Amino acid sequence: MSKVKPAPLPPDTVIGGYRIVKKLAAGGFGVVYLAVDTEGQQVAIKEYLPSSLASRGPGELLPQVQPEKLSLYRLGLKSFFEEGRALAQISHQSVVSVLNFFRENETVYMVMNYLEGASLQEFIITARELKKQKVFRESTIRSLYDEVLRGLRIVHQHKMLHLDIKPANIFITDDNRAVLIDFGAAREVLSKEGNFIRPMYTPGFAAPEMYRRDSSMGPWTDIYAIGACIYASMQGYPPNDAPQRLEKDRLSLALSRLRGVYSDNLIEVVEWCMSLDPLSRPQSVFALQKELSRETERSYTKLTVAEKMRLQFDNIVSDNKRSARKTTAAGTRFK
Amino acid sequence: MKFSVYQISRQGGRERNEDRMGYAYTRESGLFVLADGMGGHPEGAMAAQLALQTFSAYFQKAASPTVREVPDFLSSALMAAHHQIIRYAAEKGMLDTPRTTLVAAVMERNHVHWIHCGDSRLYLVREGELLTRTRDHSYIEQQAHLGRSTEHINRNILFTCLGSPAKPVYDVSGPVQLQQGDRVLLCSDGLWSTVKDFEIADQLARHPLEHAVPELVEMALKRGGPRCDNVTVLAMEWETPDEFQTTRVSTEDIEEGVFASTIQSGVPDPSVEDLDDEAIERSIAEINEAIRRTAEKNA
Repeated sequence: MSKVKPAPLPPDTVIGGYRIVKKLAAGGFGVVYLAVDTEGQQVAIKEYLPSSLASRGPGELLPQVQPEKLSLYRLGLKSFFEEGRALAQISHQSVVSVLNFFRENETVYMVMNYLEGASLQEFIITARELKKQKVFRESTIRSLYDEVLRGLRIVHQHKMLHLDIKPANIFITDDNRAVLIDFGAAREVLSKEGNFIRPMYTPGFAAPEMYRRDSSMGPWTDIYAIGACIYASMQGYPPNDAPQRLEKDRLSLALSRLRGVYSDNLIEVVEWCMSLDPLSRPQSVFALQKELSRETERSYTKLTVAEKMRLQFDNIVSDNKRSARKTTAAGTRFK
Repeated sequence: MKFSVYQISRQGGRERNEDRMGYAYTRESGLFVLADGMGGHPEGAMAAQLALQTFSAYFQKAASPTVREVPDFLSSALMAAHHQIIRYAAEKGMLDTPRTTLVAAVMERNHVHWIHCGDSRLYLVREGELLTRTRDHSYIEQQAHLGRSTEHINRNILFTCLGSPAKPVYDVSGPVQLQQGDRVLLCSDGLWSTVKDFEIADQLARHPLEHAVPELVEMALKRGGPRCDNVTVLAMEWETPDEFQTTRVSTEDIEEGVFASTIQSGVPDPSVEDLDDEAIERSIAEINEAIRRTAEKNA
């Protein structure tokens, strides 16, 4: 690690009338805290504090920004505002809601609903550890993504893309709602052309166009990620990342493992969403919703003997690969 | 004043989307605009964007809270938009000017007026029937109007638009008194070139906007195939009951003297880094105002 992350505000600091309880998470964009308002209501507060541009010593309140990084810092602030502005217009139970926005300590804060529950990521890990044939039931998957898509549709209606949809950003509350969180990567891009900063991406869930700097992104980019999330909810693991798939696409093969376990229709939906060509995917959430909610009789196609053999062979090969990759990863982690 | 509104713009098979749309409203007046930047000339999207911004700025000035002389307002906004585009081209020393079509409607005091130039259309549907639609400023529509054969006419040839060296030709229509449930749809030619008038009326009559509009756009995209034109639709329903929360606008939610708009300024964008203290404070105030409005709408 070359750089020290800015220190989070210590517990019991009061900002904008909210008392900080603890740090919940820290990302490239800033820090998220659990806090309480004057009436004791719990909220989540996101502090704009990009770790690459600003520093803050432990116990200090004001971040330091080096003069040569000031214009980038302000540019980032602008997208933080865009996120706030877009979320402020959205009130939907499947999208995290913004309650307040204020300026203090020479930076800005976004106050959001505090959600209790766990991310879909945690659910997937717990479920796959049970080693059942299915990670989730098909009906669970369909109703879960129906909710997620309702939220995403509103987001797209507000000319915003999420651009970092993954199981870790789909939150399942204790009262059983699915909520899209962390719009940090989102930019209001649907109305503009070019000249915005491309966001970071999560391998496996990021569509190929997120890697290519020249091509345009759209609702179909989020739809790719939705397909990858459904995939992860069926397999228990994320799909191969887009560059790997462009080199050698094993998606159909991996999905054929699920034949007979999940309906042909659901498997086809995943393949459709995850088409490498953006134009071959559902072009809008609406189109995908229609397909996903279509409740016809589910048909299942069993694997033939030849296909089973091919799969077994593939398992051996990919197991070797996987262990090889693990070693490298462990070796580089502490660089 | 209450209306539902739903807007979608899709790129189709084209390299970029040069259609622009948006709406703005005060407590007692609503403006809806759609522009289709023209290919074959430079920067069509810019022409469309400039037209929208000009309409929005004019509306913000004129609507206090109603526009009153709506036909005058529409024609002067259109001419101003035309001049903005010409000025933009002149400032940049462009050899050819950017061009766009335009259709815009103003609804206030229970009446709707509209203006159009080129082949972007307005449809007015009442009780499932197509009450009226605009007639394009194209040779094909002109010939059809004269009762001549239109068989070999290229539908893409327009005899007027905004931004061309010749003064724009436009039509102002209305007032039409609105009834509850009336639907007004603005669209670019990407929709009507493949979806028939009766299909548009039928969809609007049978489904709520939030289903009808995406369905129409999907139809156009599917029929348009891999080279499909940009498809843009902005539709509203007058004085709708409360059922369709997501798209419903009640202008009573906003305060006296306030103006709300989905039309973003930003081009020509002077420069992003000019985010001074004042701009930061203003952004925060705007966000909090939006939070308050959203919360009220859902209360």
